[in-house]
Amino acid sequence: MTALGELRALSAPRGMQSAREKAARGRDNKAAAIFLAPWLIGLIGITLGPMLMSLYLAFTNYNLLQNPQFTGLENIQRMLGDERLGASLLVTAIYVLVSVPLQLAVALALAILLDRGVRGLPLYRSVFYLPSLLGASVAIAVLWRLVFGGQGLLNALLSLFGIQGPAWIAEPQTALGTLIVLHVWTFGSPMVIFLAGLRQIPRELYEAASTDGAGRWRQFRSITLPMLSPIIFFNLVLGLIGSFQTFTQAFIISNGTGGPADSTLFYSLYLYQEGFSSLRMGYASALAWLLLIIIAAFTAVNFWAAKYWVFYND
Amino acid sequence: MVHRMQRRMLRGAALVVAAALVLAGCGIGAGPTDVGLTDKPVTLTMSWWGADARTQKTLEAIKLFEADHPNIKVEPQYADWNGYWDRLATTTAAGDMPDVMQFDEVYLTSYANRGTLLDLQKVSSVLDTSALSPDTLDSGRVGGTLDAVPIGAAPNGVIINKTLFDQYGVALPDTATWTWEQFTQAAVQLQTASGGKVNGVSLFGNDAFPLNIWARQHGDQLYGSDGKVAISPETVASYFQRELDWIKAGASGSASEWAEGNGNTLDQADIVTGRVGMMFIPAGSLTSYQSAAPKFTYVIANWPTDPDTKPGFQYLKPSMYWAASARSEHPAEAGLLINFLTNDIRVAKLFGVDRGVPANPKFRDALSAGLDANTKMAFDFTAAMATESGPAPAPTPNGASDVQTMIGRYNQQALFGQLSPEDAGKAFVEELQRSIDAAS
Repeated sequence: MTALGELRALSAPRGMQSAREKAARGRDNKAAAIFLAPWLIGLIGITLGPMLMSLYLAFTNYNLLQNPQFTGLENIQRMLGDERLGASLLVTAIYVLVSVPLQLAVALALAILLDRGVRGLPLYRSVFYLPSLLGASVAIAVLWRLVFGGQGLLNALLSLFGIQGPAWIAEPQTALGTLIVLHVWTFGSPMVIFLAGLRQIPRELYEAASTDGAGRWRQFRSITLPMLSPIIFFNLVLGLIGSFQTFTQAFIISNGTGGPADSTLFYSLYLYQEGFSSLRMGYASALAWLLLIIIAAFTAVNFWAAKYWVFYND
Repeated sequence: MVHRMQRRMLRGAALVVAAALVLAGCGIGAGPTDVGLTDKPVTLTMSWWGADARTQKTLEAIKLFEADHPNIKVEPQYADWNGYWDRLATTTAAGDMPDVMQFDEVYLTSYANRGTLLDLQKVSSVLDTSALSPDTLDSGRVGGTLDAVPIGAAPNGVIINKTLFDQYGVALPDTATWTWEQFTQAAVQLQTASGGKVNGVSLFGNDAFPLNIWARQHGDQLYGSDGKVAISPETVASYFQRELDWIKAGASGSASEWAEGNGNTLDQADIVTGRVGMMFIPAGSLTSYQSAAPKFTYVIANWPTDPDTKPGFQYLKPSMYWAASARSEHPAEAGLLINFLTNDIRVAKLFGVDRGVPANPKFRDALSAGLDANTKMAFDFTAAMATESGPAPAPTPNGASDVQTMIGRYNQQALFGQLSPEDAGKAFVEELQRSIDAAS
């Protein structure tokens, strides 16, 4: 709020302005417009334009090879009877609801550990952060295949203990699990944000609490969590939006099929298959807008619920 | 005032961008009118899929072509089968289709019917197709236009890793007359003798080709001449059931083992790494498998039969085609490149039978002299199958280009027990028909 207030104060007209000042402002504005232009062109050309186009395509039959034909609500009707859409929504929902909280818990736990003043903190921080940089990359997904494959690293390890592991990425029961593990493994970026948040909590609060005889758990529950709740909220929102759109990992690990037996058919992957493999880009566009609506709804609920658990100390 | 100016600028920018988008978005423009050759520098793009061996040979061929035509530069775009078609659809939609493309029968009608392929009759001044028999050439015609030039044809066969059979002391039955029972037995023996290190046979997989042969062995066919799905759900169910039987009998690895390798490139296939002893392949690929696994000796054999299987189930599938983009800026040069690939004897020697036994008889003659052992084997096998082939099956109809992913999907559901083979067969037939109906 305060930042917005300042902005408003800045942009409010200041009673008297000399002609020179005006001219200078005009020049500044022109410079600003020029500096903004690359971003603006990007926004319109790469984001806004295609979005509007896809909104139109969502109401067409478009096979990529011929011009789209307007078909009204046919795509929406199709959605209602689409079993694979249901399957992909279920896969995505399980993934989001399990992996996001799990990842945040791991990130928070490690952040608290590191915050205790470990020696070599910058090193640990970098090492833990590394997977976040790599997590969504093709290389890591390929690595995941090698780790969780039938002849993979994990099974080699298990065989030392006499356990014959399955092909984790190729069993319908475990394939999604390996992707959840992959997501949790990229806990680095929320962890770094948590670390920064922990540093913001005034030490006096802990001192006062321990004087009053509060134990570690009590301190965590009554000081750390509420003081950190805006950060948790921020990470939660980002995590939800990001994981709803998961694509690369699932695509590489299942070779683009969403297999085995559609057990890793993420929503984005299904959308991709419909648009590019089955040449139903109109339907895929409609699916994209449904995803946008779902994410928007989730985020809205999140913001509404935040009123009840997020504590802003200002 | 400042605000108003900004708004005006914004509106102007939005208009320009919107106009650009609309123009770019408004799909297929007029076709090329100029089909003459030029002396000016020309860059053609050419795309194909395949294993590394094919890519190397194709790059060599491109060099020869460029040496003959110094003003033409050919930019290669190669990919694995997975991804090739996704990418082609995307580049086509973007108006950026490659000038010359390797095409598969499954996708030919879908692309040709939608006007994306150049009618090669328009460039007949530079593209000579007279060497090909009219029947062969017809397989590249969709609705009266010549949309693609067939490269070759090949039957489907069983590739056998002889090295593994010898290593584990498993005797192969006489593959000229083997029955399904003997086939399964050999697979089980190999798997047992290797202590499970080697699986007997790879599951059929996603390919539509073996499904079609299976259907023909059972008096059925995938598509009817009316462009509809003809195969009965029961035939599809028996196909999936056969795979389940193999797994149960210990002739194949588990469903998950197969799912893990599903979609691997040819160079990483289980038959190449020595994880499996036998596999159903289009016979032309024999040489690709061989060059990917020089340490193994492969042989190829006809499909096993049951005592009551009627002959004529084999057919030579037009393995691939060369096609050109209807929106190519250099249709004449594209035609020239296809002419080179179709008629230049040096190409015959380079490619061998990797793209199937050549459709051009002159290529076949050039090949029959001085063949390496594997090429000769694939060549002879194809020639032998040609005499046994039944009538050619109906082409893949428009809208059925997605058939392979559908087979793969229902196959997995049957293998992992999520659907019974009967239900999977039924659902497959229904979905395929729906997809065809939606496209017409």
